[in-house]
Amino acid sequence: MSRFGCVLVEHFDAAAVERCEPALRECSLAILSPSMDSPNVGREGAPTADKKRAPTADKTGAPTAKMMMVLEANAEAREQGVRPGMTEPEARARCPMLVTRPWVEEYVVAARHALLEAALAVSPRIEDGGAGLVYVDTVGLERLIGDPPSIGRRLVHQARAIGLTARVGLAVSRTGARVAAASASAPVTVIPPGRERAGLAKAPLAVLDLAPDLAATLARWGVRTLGELAALPREGLATRLGPAGLRAHDLALGLDHDPFRPWTPPPFWEEAQGLEWGIDSLGVLALVLETVLERLCQRLAAVALAADALEVRLGLASGGHHARDVSLAYPMGEVKPMLGLLVLDLEAHPPQAPVTRVAVSAHPIRTQAGQGGLWQPPAPAPRDLVSVLARLAALVGADNLGSPTLVDSHRSDAFTMLAFSPPTESEPPDRRWRGRSLRQDPPAPGDQASALADTRDPPGEREHRLALRRIRPARRVDVGTAGERPAHVDARRVVACAGPWRASGEWWDTEAWARDEWDVVLGDGALCRLVRDRLTGHWFLDGLYD
Amino acid sequence: MDDATAGEGALGTGDPTTKRPVPIRGEITEIVGGPSSGRTSHLVACLRYVASRGETAALVDTEEVFDPGLASRAGVDLRRLLWVRCGGHRDVALRAADMLVRCPGFALVALDLGERVPRLSTTLAFRLKFAVRRTDVALLIIGRRRLTGSSAALAIETLREGIEWAGPGAAPTRLARVRTTTRVLRSRRAAPGWPPLWWSA
Repeated sequence: MSRFGCVLVEHFDAAAVERCEPALRECSLAILSPSMDSPNVGREGAPTADKKRAPTADKTGAPTAKMMMVLEANAEAREQGVRPGMTEPEARARCPMLVTRPWVEEYVVAARHALLEAALAVSPRIEDGGAGLVYVDTVGLERLIGDPPSIGRRLVHQARAIGLTARVGLAVSRTGARVAAASASAPVTVIPPGRERAGLAKAPLAVLDLAPDLAATLARWGVRTLGELAALPREGLATRLGPAGLRAHDLALGLDHDPFRPWTPPPFWEEAQGLEWGIDSLGVLALVLETVLERLCQRLAAVALAADALEVRLGLASGGHHARDVSLAYPMGEVKPMLGLLVLDLEAHPPQAPVTRVAVSAHPIRTQAGQGGLWQPPAPAPRDLVSVLARLAALVGADNLGSPTLVDSHRSDAFTMLAFSPPTESEPPDRRWRGRSLRQDPPAPGDQASALADTRDPPGEREHRLALRRIRPARRVDVGTAGERPAHVDARRVVACAGPWRASGEWWDTEAWARDEWDVVLGDGALCRLVRDRLTGHWFLDGLYD
Repeated sequence: MDDATAGEGALGTGDPTTKRPVPIRGEITEIVGGPSSGRTSHLVACLRYVASRGETAALVDTEEVFDPGLASRAGVDLRRLLWVRCGGHRDVALRAADMLVRCPGFALVALDLGERVPRLSTTLAFRLKFAVRRTDVALLIIGRRRLTGSSAALAIETLREGIEWAGPGAAPTRLARVRTTTRVLRSRRAAPGWPPLWWSA
């Protein structure tokens, strides 16, 4: 029974760039590094992040790189003779149609995480073996997926879904699985249990990625394959090569030395793009954001997740950063609404300098699948709703948009605005404070029947309730009175009036208020609500019945 | 919701058996009138009906005059109401309404333009009309005068007929109710008539 799988993406630096620019897959591609200390030292085998070279600097800190070196080449370029360690002119001499790209750390890191997350969709236990190398614990997957070749094909499919071409090996040990993946040409290679030694015997020694001096010693001895190394006497290896020799012997036998270290995904998944020149236009930046979001959504879709929050970090030409958090109204995995929200947010909060780097992080969550009720009326689709809300927020301001909610207070016009989120079910609203107004007695504590006062109204009265057009803030007016009743408002005569309705509240606090309300008909026919502030004696026009 | 199934107060009917005019799904309806003529009460009644059916409504409030407290008393489920306050900017209100009618799923989009109704070109009115048809939203426009001309399927004018006061003595102490009536200004279908309505304060 196979216990481990190994997902291997060869020439990972080149594969990471091809993932960002899929058109390069048909080209001979070389990844260039600004400098290398020893130009003739090639780099073979599986790449690791710690081997990445930054531009070298002399003792004063000034860069000394004078020549671009080939750091990695894809399979097409290697067929033309291009190898890591060559200078760019040498590589171009061997392959005139060579396409070159600079090494960008963000591409490699994003592709590495994407590969890990893709493997995580197959098995909950995976280990990060380095850039382009993932070990997968396959115990128990037979019952879910099928036999080992099916598991291998699933892993290949997952890697392809995020834009990477992988080979998969399955064996009892991680070393066996890695050697199988690295030495075979088929997408999926399975080494049956008990046949590890025979299965690994023909693999070249280079797949073990041994230390250079040890590899050179074994080469001098004429050892070329793992089978030849495994056939050497163990005691003799220990005597001549020490622990390193014994370790190499174990690897040749397909034995693991290190414990399995499970990889845990980070809380945010990031995709980034470095730019060769600064972008100062939001339209152009939107195109870059779309590309980055497409890769991010590809990763999310590959593992059936959605994002509920986005973080945008823009590297600026000035050396600073511009960071924005965009929380999504509902979990989504589509590029278009995400892009719309990001662009709207950046329109409202533009960066202060040209952008040289774009990084978008998504907080992945598992969405709950749900089905709308059969009798449930149609509602705006969350994707459309979140988009139109963002546009409206950009138009009128986020504070002027939402659902009003009444506050537990007798104060006139007391409400707050909440984010608009209509209930998905048709349950009755919380009516505890509905229907409360200054002109109704407040409910006694625990008096639910009184709290539901509005439900006692005849249906016709509730349906035909006179509305008030509020004047915000209430406009101060000059009111002449006859006795205590208003006689004229500004220059307009009062034809009829009713009142006063006296109310007060919060007398125990600094926000105390007290007012008399009058309903008046003015000479021009307007039916208004006048308010006299009993604390100041001023009159206000509170609203217009309509 | 179609005309055949619309009951009392339902959206989408010009049925004379209904007690009050109602906006039509996929069409533009205008309710115009002077101050205190009952325009806003009609609007709140429509919002109440939409929310009571579990549907979603949006209100573009140009002058920020909407009273959530009274609307709640009238039975409007405020959770199903998207309130867009435009701070007196009529161009902003028109753009907001244009955005909302293009979002499928809202049963009613109400545009309260207040007392100063802007001029709207015929092109823009037709644009609104076709957007409303495409998304099957009922667009209800409230204002002092008409806005969309022939693009509106139904246009009515509200008029106040009377006021009732209440109180124990000779001098009334409270406004009891207001009686309004409607007059059809334009109707693409057979012009219906509605009886006068009493609106309780």
